[in-house]
Amino acid sequence: MSDELDRIRREMHSVLQPEGVRPDDSLKITRRTFIHGSLIFGAATVGQAFAWWPLLNTLDIAHAAETPFKFAWISDTHLYPRSLNTRFVDKVVRAAQEVQAMDPPADFLIFGGDLAQLGKIEELELGVDLLKEIKIPQHYIPGEHDWYLDMGKKWGELFGQPNWTFDHKGVRFIGLDTVSRGPDYWTAKNMTPEERMGHMATLDGTVAGPWAGVGRDQLDWMEKTLADWDKQRPVVIFSHNPLYEYYPPWNFWVRDWREVHEVLKPYAKVTNIHGHVHQVLYNEIGTLRSIGMLATSWPWPYAPEGLPKLTKPMIRVDPGDPYDGVGWSKIDVAANDQLETEYIMWGRKEVFVQSPEDHDKHVSEVIRPRIADNMWPYR
Amino acid sequence: MTTHSKIRCSLRRFPLIGGIAIAAVFAGPTSAHKDPVKPEQLKAYQEVFMEEVRKGDLLFHGDQKMAEQLGVADDLSKTGMACAMCHPMASDTHPQSFPKFQAQIAKFATLRDMINWCIEKPNQGVKIDPESEAMKALEAYITWSNTGSVLQPGKF
Repeated sequence: MSDELDRIRREMHSVLQPEGVRPDDSLKITRRTFIHGSLIFGAATVGQAFAWWPLLNTLDIAHAAETPFKFAWISDTHLYPRSLNTRFVDKVVRAAQEVQAMDPPADFLIFGGDLAQLGKIEELELGVDLLKEIKIPQHYIPGEHDWYLDMGKKWGELFGQPNWTFDHKGVRFIGLDTVSRGPDYWTAKNMTPEERMGHMATLDGTVAGPWAGVGRDQLDWMEKTLADWDKQRPVVIFSHNPLYEYYPPWNFWVRDWREVHEVLKPYAKVTNIHGHVHQVLYNEIGTLRSIGMLATSWPWPYAPEGLPKLTKPMIRVDPGDPYDGVGWSKIDVAANDQLETEYIMWGRKEVFVQSPEDHDKHVSEVIRPRIADNMWPYR
Repeated sequence: MTTHSKIRCSLRRFPLIGGIAIAAVFAGPTSAHKDPVKPEQLKAYQEVFMEEVRKGDLLFHGDQKMAEQLGVADDLSKTGMACAMCHPMASDTHPQSFPKFQAQIAKFATLRDMINWCIEKPNQGVKIDPESEAMKALEAYITWSNTGSVLQPGKF
């Protein structure tokens, strides 16, 4: 871990993780979790990164729903026009069919951003067309790939406000826009909308910089939105980016995570469900727990540093199988006030690593940022 | 062989052998003609390398102009996907683990073999010449980006 990241990580924990503070301790760990392989084989054998938190493909989190219900999550479909790439289309079709087939049905679908790959009207409309096969109510938040071609114009026409809130059966749900407040890297360089989008669409690009953030205005909105909510009642926040610092060079964070946590600190039962990372992730900071979701399009490797120690990594995928390492999630809010998240990873019985060789960091690597986007053509 | 023919044979070799001998006389001991490496030479060598890294970086990130310049625009991908979409910063490429038995290809493979497999399978493109400048540039970028990684040839 770099010195700077280490410094920030220590600060994050000193501010938000005083001794004894954890998310609501009514967290339930099921028997299934306890018989997970990492405990059978011994956590020490599978590495420091996932040593002590035995996550399974279900995670039970205490909540206080009035009646049981389910909802579904799909994100990061990254659709190209059908004429260019049908693989991603096929996977959205499959996810939509599976969500629609849930029995009992989900109460609603959350779409977690990056519907399109390059923000084109054709791509966004294709997504709407494919997902209309799901007949339950749908709520959308934007991803950066949806936004930076026309600065959210088409997305807004299709889906309305990028941030929103609603209450459902005793749970307050909040959708955040973590993508639209990126610093202006295009005006001074006279970029075309396509060039602006191209830089934004490159995860490891160096031009768009630290674009992920919530913004003061939205933080104030969130604070007001929560003001009348009982601090012991559950809150579920959806965002495209994680609401903590995992790996800033890939915007696996929001730059104002400190302020986010200041707003959420008084609330005992807060869960953040996010996309963008295309990988299994779990973290706890203060009273907030965060769950990273799979993409339907392709999986990202884990970042070279900063992987939360509470994450039990997902299994190393086969790059020859377009359905490996990707999928969607269903979330059960049970009658006994628990919320259970299940990763539906296509083609895999085991979502999580079973041995050191299953981890994509099993071959150690040192990697460095790219150079060419700074050298050319914008010197 | 007659004496005459022996002399003729020797004479035929004279231009080469004689030339080396004369050069050696003037240059002295074998290594003495070499100067210590100069900073400007190192800079030039590094510039050659970094130019290949730059080209490889652009190819790896789907830059169409560079692909056209190197004659692989129709080959690298037919899905819109670029290498960096699965391998940001060339992570998870593990150049330090090659050569090795590569499960996807089911053979003992080099990094170049794997690059071509990725072009052909996930990107649905067309294999490129393993000796082409495009391949060397991709190899340069991937290995440069993984600078400092420990060599682990053969590791799964």
